[in-house]
Amino acid sequence: MGTVQIRDVHKSYGPVEVLHGVSINIEDGEFVALVGPSGCGKSTLLRMIAGLEDISGGDIRIGDRVVNNIAPKDRDIAMVFQNYALYPHKNVRENMGFALRQRRVPRAEIDERVNDAARILGLEHLLERKPRALSGGQRQRVAMGRAIVRNPTVFLFDEPLSNLDAKLRVQMRSEIKELHQRLKTTTVYVTHDQIEAMTLADRVVVMNSGVIEQEGPPLELYDKPASLFVAAFIGSPPMNFLEGNLQNGTVLHLDDGTRLNLPVGDRKQRSRVTIGIRPEHFTVAPSGWPATVSVVEPTGSETQITARFAGHVVRVLSRGRTSVRPSDTIHLAFDQGHLHFFDPAPVPEVAKMEDVA
Amino acid sequence: MSTVVTPAPQRLRRSLGHKLRIAGGIVVSIVFLFPIYWMVLTSFKDQVDIFTNPPTFFFTPTIAAYVEYMTRADIVPRLINTIIVASGSGLLSIVVGTMAGYALARIRLRGAATIGLLILLSRGVPPIALAVPMFLVARKLGLTDKHITLILAYSTFLVPYVMWLMRSFFLSLPRELEESAMIDGCSRYGAFFKIIVPISLPGLLSTLIFSMILAWEELLFALVLTNRHASTIPVAIAGIAGDTVNGANWAALTAVGTITVVPVVVFALLVQKWLIKGLAEGATKG
Ligand SMILES: Nc1ncnc2c1ncn2[C@@H]1O[C@H](COP(=O)(O)OP(=O)(O)OP(=O)(O)O)[C@@H](O)[C@H]1O
Ligand SMILES: [Mg+2]
Repeated sequence: MGTVQIRDVHKSYGPVEVLHGVSINIEDGEFVALVGPSGCGKSTLLRMIAGLEDISGGDIRIGDRVVNNIAPKDRDIAMVFQNYALYPHKNVRENMGFALRQRRVPRAEIDERVNDAARILGLEHLLERKPRALSGGQRQRVAMGRAIVRNPTVFLFDEPLSNLDAKLRVQMRSEIKELHQRLKTTTVYVTHDQIEAMTLADRVVVMNSGVIEQEGPPLELYDKPASLFVAAFIGSPPMNFLEGNLQNGTVLHLDDGTRLNLPVGDRKQRSRVTIGIRPEHFTVAPSGWPATVSVVEPTGSETQITARFAGHVVRVLSRGRTSVRPSDTIHLAFDQGHLHFFDPAPVPEVAKMEDVA
Repeated sequence: MSTVVTPAPQRLRRSLGHKLRIAGGIVVSIVFLFPIYWMVLTSFKDQVDIFTNPPTFFFTPTIAAYVEYMTRADIVPRLINTIIVASGSGLLSIVVGTMAGYALARIRLRGAATIGLLILLSRGVPPIALAVPMFLVARKLGLTDKHITLILAYSTFLVPYVMWLMRSFFLSLPRELEESAMIDGCSRYGAFFKIIVPISLPGLLSTLIFSMILAWEELLFALVLTNRHASTIPVAIAGIAGDTVNGANWAALTAVGTITVVPVVVFALLVQKWLIKGLAEGATKG
């Protein structure tokens, strides 16, 4: 059974604690993505599941065994590393067959399983090559092949696509998804790319500085972010945030004096709030508030408009095309049913970084 | 015709630079090789030719010095001693030093850096300061004039040497290689021997060769720790050079010197391919 249970796991390096009690239950056959900004502890957690890092507190179960004190080789897992870690002195066939040889699987069976995996991944013509004679994408495939030949209980991936160019990354992403649908092996996938997490996973776990911020199916995180951090992290282009004082729970006074009427809701206890609006929930309508366009980015199917609105920079995503030009004034209205309310907090760096990328 | 072969000025300059570089290379090679050439030359001279002033390059060669020294009982056993001691200490140091270097590069151990530094600093102690205490210890243990004594003594400087070279080589390899092997079913030892050692082979081999050459040529410890049974070739050379009774026999001295150098050169030529590969890798990765 390929379940993985992580219970209140802590990790310290010397006096510094980097994981502060993380619990996740992963079901058999589930694809779980761990996302979060750099340094939040994703790799550390994955390496603890693999047995490459000691567990400072709590426990990890794979199937019905607590694996805290079990060596990596006895955990029946396979891992794909960001740098692939192919054995440079072995050819592709030997790389893929290495784990089986270690387990003393008969030669004929190794050959058969390596050939099968090679066929699935389109590596048949490369089997006799050394890793240095392969392109980045081919190496990536070999690393995947090495994992699937094993037929392990759990696959662990640590940013397997981040060394590939954008186009190949998208292609491999769908291949990984297809592979999972075919093999149905429990998978834990670490990435800092929220799109990768959203598109691949059955369930996304968002981590931030060593704790879980929120977990759930991708669209649930998108529609109901539990915190400003998750709201900012999930979604591209990222959510827009406006901060102001709340009056009677229905009128928001922004700091530049703009007053926004909000639908009635149960938020009287707060006086200062941050509201979040996804770019696609803005509409350009004559009844809205005035905003000055600064950038227009058409992609064909939709257009992204960056505008200054009430002292904030906001991004608006509109279906189809538009004749709006920079420095035009447009009127923005927003979908009252899709507002998110948060306690005021600085907008996390991640949202700004997405902006650049 | 002249129009066809007129070289562009730029090409002229480049080829001039190229020639200068080659000339420089030749000069450097001469400076390094001349003493060896002179040694080999001298070993084939007789006493008169050796002392001709100005020195002569043309003479009737004689192998008298070789015959004399090869037939003297002690040169062949000394050659054998040198081979035993050099390969013994080379192999011991490569095994111990490589594993120690790996541990320093990989094992997360508080104070690992300090340990490494201390071992390196121990190399700063002048050998002469160690030779006498070593002799006293060896005598107490009844180990003077034995191969094993020299092998152990040489390992005191060869192990740190190998350790530091291999440590920096291992640091240049990604950790994920071993981690991958450990997930694939190896223990830490298995990962080291099945993955890391094969990858490091060129570097290991060139380090081994350098260690053996260092041991092959060592004089001080050999002089202090041995007298007859385990005595090595450099001791013989020193003996001839310091012969105050008969005066230094230059022909004999250079003949034995040539005998010492030839195996090193032959060995180096045989493994040249590996040696250069290892050196180059050390340069770019270490
Ligand atoms: N060997 C170590 N010693 C001390 N601190 C470490 C060690 N390894 C990782 N850390 C710290 O633990 C934290 C989590 O690191 P981790 O590698 O898990 O981050 P990550 O989420 O995978 O980030 P990235 O997206 O950059 O890979 C970081 O703050 C890092 O500095
Ligand atoms: Mg990481």
